[in-house]
Amino acid sequence: MPADGVIAIGWFELVLAAGFIVATGALSLALRLGLVKDLAIGSVRTYLQLLALGVVLRWVFEVRLWYAVVAILVFMTVVATRIILKRVPHAPKGLFGSSLLAMAVTGFTVTFAVTGIVIRVPAWYEPRYVIPIAGMVLGNSMTGIALSLERLFSDLDAHSEEVLGTLALGASPWEAARGAVRSSLRAGLIPTINSMAAAGIVFIPGMMSGQVLAGADPLEAAKYQVVVMLMVSAATAVGSIIAVTLAYRRRFSADGAYLEQGFRAHAS
Amino acid sequence: MELGAPVLEARDLVFEREVDGRVVRVLDHVSLAIRPGDIIELRGESGAGKTTLLRALARLLPGVCGELVLDGRPDREVDPRLWRTRVTLLPQRAALLPGSVEENLGFPFTLAVRKHTDPPSAEKFRAGMDALGLDDVALSRDVTQLSVGQAARVALLRVLLARPAVLLLDEPDASLDDASAARLGEATARFAAEGGALVRVSHLRADATATRSLRLAAGQLMEVSNAG
Repeated sequence: MPADGVIAIGWFELVLAAGFIVATGALSLALRLGLVKDLAIGSVRTYLQLLALGVVLRWVFEVRLWYAVVAILVFMTVVATRIILKRVPHAPKGLFGSSLLAMAVTGFTVTFAVTGIVIRVPAWYEPRYVIPIAGMVLGNSMTGIALSLERLFSDLDAHSEEVLGTLALGASPWEAARGAVRSSLRAGLIPTINSMAAAGIVFIPGMMSGQVLAGADPLEAAKYQVVVMLMVSAATAVGSIIAVTLAYRRRFSADGAYLEQGFRAHAS
Repeated sequence: MELGAPVLEARDLVFEREVDGRVVRVLDHVSLAIRPGDIIELRGESGAGKTTLLRALARLLPGVCGELVLDGRPDREVDPRLWRTRVTLLPQRAALLPGSVEENLGFPFTLAVRKHTDPPSAEKFRAGMDALGLDDVALSRDVTQLSVGQAARVALLRVLLARPAVLLLDEPDASLDDASAARLGEATARFAAEGGALVRVSHLRADATATRSLRLAAGQLMEVSNAG
């Protein structure tokens, strides 16, 4: 074992790892599950995306340019926002801006709070710390925001009669949408709350696993994981709240009437 | 009956909707003046646009063109929430909110738009329930424990207690038996006698208390008879 505790994987072993996927593919063929194409594309993407990431990160860690770090963070945020919108099929138009804002505000604030205040990296843009932590923060907020928005709009549609009846009594759009807002935020935060409850008992969180595999002291790795987990949960919560509060109003007309399916063409 | 100043006026309402790929004019220059004490019966075939017209009057119909005037003020000058406290629609399938009967009856008074209005007392709730034939229903009962007809009457009482100037009822008796429908007719007649105005879509029963009867067909509103 090398001195730094990391056992390097050779290129041959990397190819060998695909053996299990090939076996799964054969199984899929035998059982006619229709998964071969998806498995193949997914495997190729995993190889290409992660190896490309390795190359890019190696370069960024070497040059240590603040604007390269910021550019990467912006790119990650934009891609995450696009993924959010794809997962919300009946979303009203104009959701990109508000979702991007929610992702950016929480992603950047929480990432730099962790690196600057908790870890106290020497330079604020220290790529070795900033990029992986931003990745975890953005990835989790993305899931939370996508789940919340999806639930928000499906819940409003499912309860459109209740919404109409409430508006008819003089409610504002916020008062009429409050029930849907509440249940959407709960839905968005369930994965985060679950993972906080199960961490360390059911599974070792990814970051801690990585540090332990890299030879770090498990207790030190645990401390890091606690910080990151709490920060990621906060980012997911705040990001979902911002996204939902900015989004619900788009389902109502300027007069505050709910836009049911048949009415959406008029207002958008 | 002497004609007073209208409380609510609709002028030249036009509303188009795409149905099966072609544009249908559901409201074709519909005008209507509603006066205090009016009980207007709105008739027409299913799909003629009766519900659409009620929603337009409550300013809950996105995309409608034309002018609405409430107490002499055009709609653009009146906050839509305030408008809907004066012109209140009771949708056909009025959904009650999760909770007890009492919570539902008090709900309109929890809204910001009525923050300076005191909610009616529990005695008032009780008297209203009794008048609608709901004397065997406790105020504490959860709304999931109500029958369809009971829930419809609780929803009606909720809008009556909120005291709008114009009440728009979309087939309020659809799920009621004859005795309950008669109670509903009495309650709405009382509302009109106290100076409220009423527009009521009815399918099942002719309204004996109606002062006017209108018919909506092919986007046009026609006077059928004038009992007032």
